[in-house]
Amino acid sequence: MSVQSEAMTVQVSEEVLALHRRMQRRRKLNRGFTYLVGILIALWILGPLYFLGSMALTTQEAVRAYPKGVLPFIPFSLDTMRFFLNSAGIVPGVINSVIVAAITLVLSTLIAAPAGYATSRFLFPGRDFFRLSILAVRAFPIVVLAVPLAVVFISLGIYDSVYSLALMHTALTLPTTILVIGSVFASIPYELEEAAMVFGCTPVQAFRHIVLPLVLPGIAASAIFTFVMSWNEVFAASILTVQNRTLPAQVLFALSNSSEAYQFAGGFFMMVPSLIFMFFIRRYLFNMWGQITK
Amino acid sequence: MSLSEIPKRRKKRNWAPYILIMPALLYLALFFAWPMARGLVLAVWDDEALLSIHAEAQRDSAVVGHIPQNAHLDILDQQGNFVPEEELNLENMLTETWFRVKGEDAEGNTIEGWAPDSRIRVREEAEDGTPLAGTVRTKLGTKADPLTSVYAEPNKHSQVVGKLEARTRVEIVDVALLEVWYRVRGENEKGEPVEGWAQSRYIQVFGDESRGRVDRGNTGQLTTKFIDKMIHDRFFLPALRNTLLLMVIIIPTQFVLAIIMALVIQARLKGNTIFLYIFAIPLGVSDLAVGILWFSVFTQNGLLNSILQYLGLISHPSPYLTAETRHWIIIAIWLAEVWRATSIVMVIVVSGLQAISDEVLEAAELFGANLWQRIRHVILPLLKPSLQVALILRTILALQVFAVVIALSGGDVVTVLANETFRQYSDFRNPNVAAAYAGFILLLSMISAIIYLRTIRTQEELAA
Repeated sequence: MSVQSEAMTVQVSEEVLALHRRMQRRRKLNRGFTYLVGILIALWILGPLYFLGSMALTTQEAVRAYPKGVLPFIPFSLDTMRFFLNSAGIVPGVINSVIVAAITLVLSTLIAAPAGYATSRFLFPGRDFFRLSILAVRAFPIVVLAVPLAVVFISLGIYDSVYSLALMHTALTLPTTILVIGSVFASIPYELEEAAMVFGCTPVQAFRHIVLPLVLPGIAASAIFTFVMSWNEVFAASILTVQNRTLPAQVLFALSNSSEAYQFAGGFFMMVPSLIFMFFIRRYLFNMWGQITK
Repeated sequence: MSLSEIPKRRKKRNWAPYILIMPALLYLALFFAWPMARGLVLAVWDDEALLSIHAEAQRDSAVVGHIPQNAHLDILDQQGNFVPEEELNLENMLTETWFRVKGEDAEGNTIEGWAPDSRIRVREEAEDGTPLAGTVRTKLGTKADPLTSVYAEPNKHSQVVGKLEARTRVEIVDVALLEVWYRVRGENEKGEPVEGWAQSRYIQVFGDESRGRVDRGNTGQLTTKFIDKMIHDRFFLPALRNTLLLMVIIIPTQFVLAIIMALVIQARLKGNTIFLYIFAIPLGVSDLAVGILWFSVFTQNGLLNSILQYLGLISHPSPYLTAETRHWIIIAIWLAEVWRATSIVMVIVVSGLQAISDEVLEAAELFGANLWQRIRHVILPLLKPSLQVALILRTILALQVFAVVIALSGGDVVTVLANETFRQYSDFRNPNVAAAYAGFILLLSMISAIIYLRTIRTQEELAA
């Protein structure tokens, strides 16, 4: 940019102009190359997804056929999907999954929001320790938590229930939610709140009328991400539920003795809500994860 | 955001932040720290290691010694004792039934007391099966006392209140269900003899009723046997090897790919948000679904073979995910994990890149640094803190690969540590060994995090 503005005002030698032209040519080339790489990576991500979608949205004959085609070239049908949804345990599994994810979303957001606000707005002794322990909990292996919790839940008599699984998922998602909500609050300058108070708002009014409307979309995005994390979680769900399996736990349980149609439709069905939710929160992703690295 | 931007309200102690973080702290203490501590203890604590032996056949009598689980016992005597209703129906528990009876003895005195059900034949029952009346059974054999003793307590060692003749009609006033206690003799861990009373629920009795063994104890003990069992499990070494191998091949690939993806995003092309959404899709997809996704690619008549067939490279589908083609399973898991978990590294790298000012990059470009030189000498050094965090996060997550492995190998042919934890818990019903596996994964995670932090620090010290 600086080269261009100088070129307009100052007499520039031929050599500098040549250098500039060469750089622009190289930039154009680079852009083309970057597009190519980007498209290749996008294909690497979308290709398998498209194939799985084709298999889930066709007839069972097409799923059994070999060599397999993909969607515009094979018949579109809801047959495979219907077969999957009518299999034993799937509808209750979906209901359980939604209940668990909804409870997790509410609990996790309610508990995390004040903590996120505190870490982003106050400088208090122990703040760094709190943030560090949150990070440590986030990095803790799920595997390590699931077995002890199962044993504790059995001894308390609340094993194999969607509610106890939701308690576990809340513990799992809470650290991420705190960090994310903290970064959402941190992105709203404190000066706004201060200005409101200068104009006579109480701190609570300033929060209610200035901060809340600004952070609400970010918090909604984080809540959706919490929902997705709970909806996807397999390991703890498989360990903590026996009769009341969630969808992933049910699919995992049935995996080894089910047909390919069941597996493909199941995999696709589990992905669809995530794909939709991710689309809505894509803008907040970096808000959400950026903070974690600091 | 740096700390200096945060308003400093330190005039007096401000309790507001503590109140605000309190719910989160309480929740994590209750549902994270406490169960974790309790659960990890399972790996080194055997709840059933020792059986307490009591001086009397009473729960609250003094403990005279302990006999280890599986030790053999001599059974010397037995006696019934009260048992709370909720503890009935335990495995191995032997019970005896006593009736409180009321009847007349030979002299016509009314006698009321307890007799075992082996001595009374029930003649009348209420509708719900409660015995109401019966007769005293005849004793067999000529040498035996023809009279049946009636005791003050439902216990043969208690005082005899009277004796009833055979075939006397008695009223059954009460029924007591008692747990059998055995008087046993065995050896404690040091080989010293221990003799005393123990409940039948803990003891497996052999056929002749004079010998038995401690089936399970009721007193805990510190033990390494679950850790030993884990280490000597035949799946332990393959699981460890596969987990480490996957870590070594997955993480470098992911970092290279993630940095490329981040550079594409950072180039701010037209349609950037579309690229961003597509690159971020795997963030929201469950690992089980990703496992199924790659299963659909690698299964015998899946996408890969279909494509190869169309291209005419093969004439019939070749199998990939079988016990004979383990290397293909590893490759499939590798691709699936790279597909799934590169996005999170990318997001971390992108937010790291955004912190690098454009001027620095433009300056490097102006001085004629090519792409590789810019990455090597400008971008990577500045990205180091982000990469460090991503590395620790990814290593810990790589130690937990689970559903992808199950979907691609069925969990048998190629196994990993998380899968063995699951198997020990769910299939073998052995939470202690599962806890040992979980503790082992935790240990590996912590060691790798410490190693990363250390090596990166020493490099910086060397540079300084």
